[in-house]
Amino acid sequence: MAKGTIEVMDLEKTFKGGVQAVRGVSFEVGQGEFFAFLGPNGAGKSTTIQILTTLMVPTKGHARVAGYDVNTEPDKIRLEIGVALQETGVDPKLTGREMLIMQARLFGMTSKQAKERAAELLGKINLLDAADRQVGKYSGGMRRRLDLAISLVHKPTILFLDEPTTGLDPVNRFAIWDEIRDLNRQNGTTIFLTTQYLEEADQLAERISIIDKGKIVVTGTSAALKRQIGLDVIELTFANVIDATTAVNALQGIGKDVQRQDTHLKLYAENGALLLADVVRAIDAAHVHPTQLNVAPPSLDDVFIQFTTNSAQPQASSVTKEVIV
Amino acid sequence: MNKFLRDTGIHMRRNILLTLRSPATVLPNMIISLFFLFVYQGGLSGIANMPAFGGASYLAFILPVSVVSAAIGGSGGAGQALVRDLENGYFARLLLTPSSRLAIVLGPMIAGMLQLIIQTFLILCVGFFLGLNIKAGFAGFLVVMGLAAGFGLGFAGYSVGVALRAKNAQAAQAGTFVFFPLIFLSSTFVPLEMIQAGWLKVVAKINPTTYIFEGMRQVLIKGWETGPILQAFGAIGLLCVITITFAALSAKQAVSRD
Repeated sequence: MAKGTIEVMDLEKTFKGGVQAVRGVSFEVGQGEFFAFLGPNGAGKSTTIQILTTLMVPTKGHARVAGYDVNTEPDKIRLEIGVALQETGVDPKLTGREMLIMQARLFGMTSKQAKERAAELLGKINLLDAADRQVGKYSGGMRRRLDLAISLVHKPTILFLDEPTTGLDPVNRFAIWDEIRDLNRQNGTTIFLTTQYLEEADQLAERISIIDKGKIVVTGTSAALKRQIGLDVIELTFANVIDATTAVNALQGIGKDVQRQDTHLKLYAENGALLLADVVRAIDAAHVHPTQLNVAPPSLDDVFIQFTTNSAQPQASSVTKEVIV
Repeated sequence: MNKFLRDTGIHMRRNILLTLRSPATVLPNMIISLFFLFVYQGGLSGIANMPAFGGASYLAFILPVSVVSAAIGGSGGAGQALVRDLENGYFARLLLTPSSRLAIVLGPMIAGMLQLIIQTFLILCVGFFLGLNIKAGFAGFLVVMGLAAGFGLGFAGYSVGVALRAKNAQAAQAGTFVFFPLIFLSSTFVPLEMIQAGWLKVVAKINPTTYIFEGMRQVLIKGWETGPILQAFGAIGLLCVITITFAALSAKQAVSRD
């Protein structure tokens, strides 16, 4: 494996109290790929990141980052990776510029190089005006941008972002998204991002792993994951239960499954829009007319909820599925 | 080695900068120590006429107490700086850099030591202003500064050790408080021979602070004599070995990846 890659095999982490945060996680991230870990709080996202970024050793399993072993070669890994942790690692008493310079110095730059790099990054993240103010006076969004810039000082080949936009307003969120998208597309930086936000994973990542209770439940592209749940939903509402029951009978054989609840029907189908004409014809022939009709594509929310709620059941959690695009 | 020194320098410089930006963390302690010097000198100096003092100036006698109390009060700073870093996540950020791990912990300790050296220098300056005359001359001045520096490093080590274990600011501050009694269970106000209570005499003889007082008083009052000076440096050496080992063990735990 070469620079810019991540390779994880059967990773496990059990804490001293016996809490199993990560229970056998395996995945690979290729050079220049944008990969996301999507999962609820306590799923094991942060623990995985802490292992991959050399802050923690795994209890079992192997991980190689940039081709180096996390157990035995942490120093080499630190030179290759940039990390922005969930808690922004900034010192409120230093100015933004001072923090960038200090970081650059710790990565071995001379004083002059460090100053130049700091100025360059401050310009890039649009913080030149606030550069000489203490970070304690920055807004949440400014801090995140600075934190991101700090993690980029040494031009890492892999960037780890642990919930980079949690708690940010939309404007700042989009600014961070643009910044990391650019890094990935223009500089070819490999990005490993964790998030609780489906939208974030959907917007940014090429591939997503849904992680829950320490295990990867499913991995695939956003489109493939949506296809995995597979089905659009055609929703019909009728004036009364008699009409609705008639409609259920009329709709047999169309789509995969029809479910009725009172006057409300849900028809699951692989391609809802194409079937819509059939649906309308069938109910028209049965002389019932819906008061409402609606076609909804599956959202990543549906996928997320489907997989994270099902993962308590053995068939979903014991098999890690790889969805091919 | 070169990288280690460079990293230590970078961390030290940041901690000095932080101390300068928050003078409120240093000034009260400094003022209290000078206050001690004034009130003891003003209120107690009459007792220096007693024969046990051998004609010593009480100012020279009490000045080491001010120096040591400033050192103990100020030594919490290094630990508190680390607690702050642990709390705001900056410590993890530092661990993610290729910086020497030891340098991350040593930086604030050395900054703390420098702070105590400067404090001692200021107390001596005030002493001179009040009429202090160091018997052993410039060499005596260096001895006092050297003892204060060693004492500072020892206490900074202790405070860093406590901070890295407790990981909260209150505990780090409370930890240094343990040493306040040491100032008073000693030949603080009168020479050892004049201490009345037998138990206090015993405690004072065990207390390393006594030897630091005696070493400083030797050069301030009597002049150069190797014995007490060596004893003082010996006591500090012992203190440093213990506290820095404690700091190193705590640091190892704090940067551990388990």
